[in-house]
Amino acid sequence: MKHRLFVILLVLFASLVTLLSFAYAEGEALPESAVVSADWLEANLDNPNVRVIEVSVIPGVFERGHIRGAVNFVWHTDLVDTVVRDIVSAERFQELVRAAGINQDTTVILYGDNNNWFAAWGAWIFDIYGATDVRLLDGGRAKWEADGRELSTRTVSYPEGNFTVVNTRPELRARLADVLAVVNGEREADLIDIRSAAEYEGTIFAPQGFQELSIRAGHIPGAVNVPWGRAVREDGTFKSVAELRELYASVGVDGSKPVITYCRIGERASHTWFVLHRILGYEAAMYDGSWTEWGNTVGVPIVNPAGTIWGAQ
Amino acid sequence: MTAAITGGAQAPAPTSKWDMARIGTAVAVLIGVLWGAQVLHATKGYGATASFSLLVGAALGVLFERGRFCFFCILRDWLEFRNSSGMFSILTALAVGSVGYAVVLETFLPNPTSGRLPPDAHIGPVSWVLVAAGAAFGLGMALSGACLSGHFYRLGQGYSRAPLALGGALVGFGLGFMTWQTLYVDTLSKAPVAWLPATLGYNGALLLTLGLLGGLALLLWRDLPAFAAREAWQLTPKTLYDLLFVQRWHPLVTGALVGLVGVFAYLRVEPLGVTAQWGSLSRTLLAQTGILEGRLAGLDAFAGCATRVSNAIMDNGWLVLGLVLAAWAMALLGNRFQWSRLTLKNSSTALIGGVLMGWGAMTALGCTVGTLLSGISAFAVSGWLFALAMLGGVWLGIRLKLHTVE
Repeated sequence: MKHRLFVILLVLFASLVTLLSFAYAEGEALPESAVVSADWLEANLDNPNVRVIEVSVIPGVFERGHIRGAVNFVWHTDLVDTVVRDIVSAERFQELVRAAGINQDTTVILYGDNNNWFAAWGAWIFDIYGATDVRLLDGGRAKWEADGRELSTRTVSYPEGNFTVVNTRPELRARLADVLAVVNGEREADLIDIRSAAEYEGTIFAPQGFQELSIRAGHIPGAVNVPWGRAVREDGTFKSVAELRELYASVGVDGSKPVITYCRIGERASHTWFVLHRILGYEAAMYDGSWTEWGNTVGVPIVNPAGTIWGAQ
Repeated sequence: MTAAITGGAQAPAPTSKWDMARIGTAVAVLIGVLWGAQVLHATKGYGATASFSLLVGAALGVLFERGRFCFFCILRDWLEFRNSSGMFSILTALAVGSVGYAVVLETFLPNPTSGRLPPDAHIGPVSWVLVAAGAAFGLGMALSGACLSGHFYRLGQGYSRAPLALGGALVGFGLGFMTWQTLYVDTLSKAPVAWLPATLGYNGALLLTLGLLGGLALLLWRDLPAFAAREAWQLTPKTLYDLLFVQRWHPLVTGALVGLVGVFAYLRVEPLGVTAQWGSLSRTLLAQTGILEGRLAGLDAFAGCATRVSNAIMDNGWLVLGLVLAAWAMALLGNRFQWSRLTLKNSSTALIGGVLMGWGAMTALGCTVGTLLSGISAFAVSGWLFALAMLGGVWLGIRLKLHTVE
């Protein structure tokens, strides 16, 4: 009898703990060091230590109205090397960032169209080049517009900042060799393919209308598929920390091993990299060569469940 | 020719059943356009830019119809009848447009000499291909009786050749897509995308543009007709109705307003153009039937009346719809709606002219509105070259009397 009571109490206690921890996790806010809300940004627009950068894909979006005081970075000329397939060099990046009036201690808030894809790409580059306080605007441009918040068409210029590239973090970037080592079992990491299921399965080479293609369809052996969009709610804001942890845990990614994310050219993968590394605090790198490098490389193994060969079965 | 400038018939008092019907329809159409803009604004996937485009289109429809802002009619008045008053409409639109563009561009791209081009402004590659496209377009205008924007607004006046010419343009666009790859690889990819502010700065470019327009005005001065003497008159509801809906609007007023609308469109959505949706329709049809490949090398890298494979209505589609509807409403209000007579001959010339215009507009990345108006306003050299080549085509067409085929 006594024994039974003990068991009941134990069960009750355990469920209470579970419930409490669940409730706590539900309420766990996104770390403000990684993501800021539109309300926060609106309240900090006149803070001289905060600099807002827009990284959008569609030309003319920034020019026809942006968050007051924001500076425009063009991803395909400012954030990449325009000749070599590579990210922008440290020297040019430093120049660009200084021209935007960013100092070593400035809080940089990035936002953009297309669900912050390229804003997250920008955050990844900022982090690689040693920036210490870079955050994303939750929901990006779409949410800001949907809220009906103020937009400005005026251009601003800032006195040159003193940002200097130091303490670079090359470990945030995965190269072909790193991924190959994982596939060959020489290195331990979880691979996440964040493209659509159809791209992962190899049914299609790329979403319709995209011209950067590969010779092979499918995915990297061992990669799990978690489309990037599952990390956000319908309005584009990030899901809660607990939901995000659960999402990746459901495919076996819990942060106990380093994670490598990839997509087609490295843009959407930056979004998931941001979630894993900056929101969940996992050790994560982004493979920006992504499928357009892997699927074009001679001799690397692939998995192609759909069996697609250049459009023919 | 004074009748053409001051307008035709006297304002008919709305008395008969027909009058009530046409005025009622016009009012309903205009209310429908406003209501449509309201609905679009709140529709997911369309929103503010679609709504604004519909209204911009409606404004153009009103201006084109009321000011008879038809590039071919204006050129014909001048070349054939030595009446240049319409030409001043175009010059004014370009002058007002370029001043407005300078204001907007200075915030869009503060440093014009950086090697970058302003976002989506209609600045195209300058080469012999543009000359060929402009000339074909001009010839097509003479053959079919109007340019593409002209056909869109004259659709609302019951111009029966317009649907044929617009249908022909669909075919022409298709031919344009098929010749694109060769023209792009051999010529367009190497052609300079010349933009005046890149070398002259905004002030220099504006000064040069206004200087050129002023020079043209001086040349056209002597072909201005004498103004008819006018009796003293009073503003009454009837004379106001007459002024707004019956008499042709003053060329300078029309031109200035067209220029302003162009600036507003660039500021809020994209440069004015009327062919992006029409060309996309052609491209989508061809892609879906497998005749055309989904991708066209290099096409997406140029700014202009860009076409794409899409089943959705683009902002440009709403603009064209607004243009046609508002022009129709204006034609009904001024009692100018009348089906024109179709013959086998004039149907064929409309169709062939449409094909030529479609090919020209695709290859030049726009037409008289997209490449000429929006291009020159944005200080693109391509706008001027297209204008010259088109003028040549129209001149040739009129010389060969292609426009008089009954």
